[in-house]
Amino acid sequence: MVFSSKGVSNKVLMSLVLALSLLLMAACGGKKEPSRWDNAQNGGKTTSSSSTSTGTGTAVAPKQDKPDNKIPDKTAPGAIKPLDGGTFNKFFPPAGDGYDRVAVQEKEGTAIYKLKKGGKDAAELSVTDTANNPSAVEKFKSSSQKIGGYPAVDQGSTATAVLVANRFQVKAISKDPSFSKADREKWLGKFNLSGLSALK
Amino acid sequence: MSKPIYEIIDELPTSGMTVRALQALDFVVPGQWKNLVGFENTIRDVTGETDENMIQQIGERAIYLFNDKSQGYQTALWMYQKINSAGGALGTAAMANKIGESISFLSFLDRLTPKADKLQAIDLCLKIVGEAVGYAKINGIPGDGIGEFASAVADNYTGPSLMRMAALICFDGLIPLGPNFILKVEEVIGNLSSSDLSSHPGFSYISSMVPSLGGDGQVGFIRSSFDSIKGWMGSFVGERGLTQSSIVSNLQRFIEVSDSKLDYVAAFLDMSTNWYEHTGVQSLARSLVERAQAEI
Repeated sequence: MVFSSKGVSNKVLMSLVLALSLLLMAACGGKKEPSRWDNAQNGGKTTSSSSTSTGTGTAVAPKQDKPDNKIPDKTAPGAIKPLDGGTFNKFFPPAGDGYDRVAVQEKEGTAIYKLKKGGKDAAELSVTDTANNPSAVEKFKSSSQKIGGYPAVDQGSTATAVLVANRFQVKAISKDPSFSKADREKWLGKFNLSGLSALK
Repeated sequence: MSKPIYEIIDELPTSGMTVRALQALDFVVPGQWKNLVGFENTIRDVTGETDENMIQQIGERAIYLFNDKSQGYQTALWMYQKINSAGGALGTAAMANKIGESISFLSFLDRLTPKADKLQAIDLCLKIVGEAVGYAKINGIPGDGIGEFASAVADNYTGPSLMRMAALICFDGLIPLGPNFILKVEEVIGNLSSSDLSSHPGFSYISSMVPSLGGDGQVGFIRSSFDSIKGWMGSFVGERGLTQSSIVSNLQRFIEVSDSKLDYVAAFLDMSTNWYEHTGVQSLARSLVERAQAEI
């Protein structure tokens, strides 16, 4: 069978288009557009604004200042093991001021409660062990206020945090606009901060 | 590594059968569930934060926590995914259609096989077991395990978690097994043997994650999980006056289903939706973000 030259050139063109699109697909590998989270996923460094980049590349044993975002080996010698979240329960303030208190999370180095009013979330109270996330301590270096004698900072628009014994972070987060910054400070003051500071 | 958590949350469907089926249950738990999709959206919604630097830090911490296998989030996700897909033999074959737009009930009728009550009862129990294990992995279990899980379901479950329990009761309990579904399930698991479990089509997928309890091993854990929340489920149905017809008539506002072949409706939902995994991812995302915000 004989093709007309026009037919042949059409076929060639179609093959070219096909080949090109295949190449393009292969080059893209079906990948999505870059996301603001890719770096974190790849174990990249955190982008905390408070610390400066050391430019030392990926350290093998990341220290306090700028932890690598890779999963640490918690069994490594010298690694500080975060305390169990359950250890922190007794330092939380009880329900009061018309708020119910509900335990919501108890994970390694973390205990979280919610304060509810009328069944609605009003605030979240937490104690976390910064052995899990040493860079969290950084922000307290520029702290200018104290709660219960411990350095305190506001974080973002909804959270206030206190650092106890340079290790345990106690935080109150507003979940409803009715729970004000003053409420956060008041509830942080209700924690047994000195008891917490004695933990090792 | 498997897919990044932010992609999993970003790729939750915004429409389709799963979303419609869940929307149809809004009357059961009014206002509790909205289809919150997207990692960044979840951070903004859960934290109420608008500061971009904070959002970035929270997101990065959440990714880090998820990727740390020892934190249990990956196991929880895996449970939600496996139990969801273990649901029915038809499930896998029809998976391609799950997030598609609308699937016609009638056009699928000849491909639907209603489950025997026994299989349906076991499926319901496995979803409860998955919930207990998932809850423990995501939130940690203070205290005595199952008891703590049961009181969390009764007192703390909100949002996607409460919706998941509502769907469990409606789609895996009331519709296929009828108003006495709790009694029926009790009867089935009262006589359950470990060989029943090993011959269950989906159990092998999750067996390694199901703890043993007492002399009856995994069967013991399954019984205890069900026993721990059966009272709550009964009250849930009673207080809301839920019936098969109230559920189906609400479903019909969103999905084309028949009200005369309820066991087929159950099989159809099983095949065409993945509400268990969908809301499981949403619950996991919320807890992860809350913890990340506390830790940064």
